[in-house]
Amino acid sequence: MTLIAEAPETSILALPQDRVKIDIRGLNFFYGQKQALHDVTVGFARNAVTAMIGPSGCGKSTLLRTINRIYSLYPGQRAEGQVLIDGDNVLEPRVNLASLRARVGMVFQKPTPFPMSIFDNVAYGLRLYEHLPKSELQGRVEEALQRAALWGEVKDKLKESGFSLSGGQQQRLCVARAIAVRPEILLLDEPASALDPISTARLEETISELKDDYTIVIVTHNMGQAARLSDQTAFMYLGQMVEFGNTEQVFTNPVTTRARDYITGRFG
Amino acid sequence: MIAAPRRLTRTLGNAAFLVFCWAATGVALIALAAILWSLLRQGIGGLDLKVFTESTPAPGSEGGLLNAILGSVMMCALAMAVAVVVGVLAGTWLSEYARTSRYGSVVRFLNDVLLSAPSILVGLFVYEIVVAPLKGFSGYAGAIALALLAVPVITRTTEDVLRLQPVALREASVALGAPVWRTILAVIWKAAQGGMLTGALLAFARISGETAPLLFTSLNNQFLNLNMAQPMANLPVVIFQFALSAYDDWRRLAWTGAMLIAVSVLAVTIIARLLAREPRRS
Repeated sequence: MTLIAEAPETSILALPQDRVKIDIRGLNFFYGQKQALHDVTVGFARNAVTAMIGPSGCGKSTLLRTINRIYSLYPGQRAEGQVLIDGDNVLEPRVNLASLRARVGMVFQKPTPFPMSIFDNVAYGLRLYEHLPKSELQGRVEEALQRAALWGEVKDKLKESGFSLSGGQQQRLCVARAIAVRPEILLLDEPASALDPISTARLEETISELKDDYTIVIVTHNMGQAARLSDQTAFMYLGQMVEFGNTEQVFTNPVTTRARDYITGRFG
Repeated sequence: MIAAPRRLTRTLGNAAFLVFCWAATGVALIALAAILWSLLRQGIGGLDLKVFTESTPAPGSEGGLLNAILGSVMMCALAMAVAVVVGVLAGTWLSEYARTSRYGSVVRFLNDVLLSAPSILVGLFVYEIVVAPLKGFSGYAGAIALALLAVPVITRTTEDVLRLQPVALREASVALGAPVWRTILAVIWKAAQGGMLTGALLAFARISGETAPLLFTSLNNQFLNLNMAQPMANLPVVIFQFALSAYDDWRRLAWTGAMLIAVSVLAVTIIARLLAREPRRS
């Protein structure tokens, strides 16, 4: 009989403080009476891609939605604890939501082009914050579309409706719209779940090219995508942060039993 | 083998349902065509230049509908201007700010009651609060009564089409840092403009033929009058009065007036649809 050390309940890698961009401490989240996040403490790295995985309803999207406080649209939802971006707690009531959201961009599960031209879609955020002369506005729109790898496909039809694009193009348009205002953080909530494999591959390319300049957090149900794209992976279960570590380690040698069972496909 | 009989019953069921749908559509279209046909047949004969250049005649003399046309246009325009502003804002408030609040559901309920209120009651109400205290029928009172009929229609349709807009669309705009009011103005209204326009057209179509509320408010005026503080002629009341009269020329003018209302509602609908043609959607 051999003695096997019991696997720990949770395993959270603490990155060096100077590499941490988003520092989440003791975060609890409530939908009315129902608690959806339990004492989550984790730090996401600067200029890197963090993937969040876990079964549906485990709190991945909820955690993502606290970082830009989009949840505050809904009166019944509240967060307790700290979400520090570069040391500033964004959960404090005095935080200016418009400037927070200028620093933290978000892309959603389904493409959400606005009912306006491709150009106006990308310029929407710019027009909110900055009063740019026309030529500069055009420059920024082009830059954002270039970075989202969409410029080549749309440069001759910027005046056409955003709805005229394919689903994959629409999603890259949403990425362009989010990065046009030059945020520091990009939150992606299952951005490829409504896309076909080819569009998904193109979107993944775009995301990996963006990570040098942005801190990216992506929620995904696609394990392959998490493994391909991310530097660190966070596994959540029932509202808890169960395992956080470098992606290679989490996928090849998960420390916790729950992460191992999920990744090897025993549940979820 | 149960596949064959099941396929047969399905085919028969499908055919029966299709026939029923066709028949129901046919009945509705035939009724519509019959109405338009009788309007055109009886109305087009009286259509000449005098209809648009002369006011309603005394029995036996010649005349047109100029005063009634202008009165109807002015009252409907004022009523729609008021009703679109009030209805769109109320519908937006119900959908975007008061979706779950108790006050919101009370307002929603009252609006639905108003939506189905008989128009003659609205006319009497405006008579009581506007005509009687000011001691006179007027175009303004008529416009108020018509606006009261149009507001609940526009409120209801605006709320309904705004609620149909996906949550993700609102969140996408808010996530870019846009305040909620700006999200509504620049994104949600734009996404819903086709439906909101339909609501306004429905309201316009409803008030353009209303007679009962105008009987108690703008009354009628035999002469051309552009002062809305005075009693005003209007097509529905003129049609009502002329159609019931014993004079052939009056009855002919009533038919022509009815045709003008139908044609103008049709024209406004087509023009508005062309103007608001929506961009392609995937």
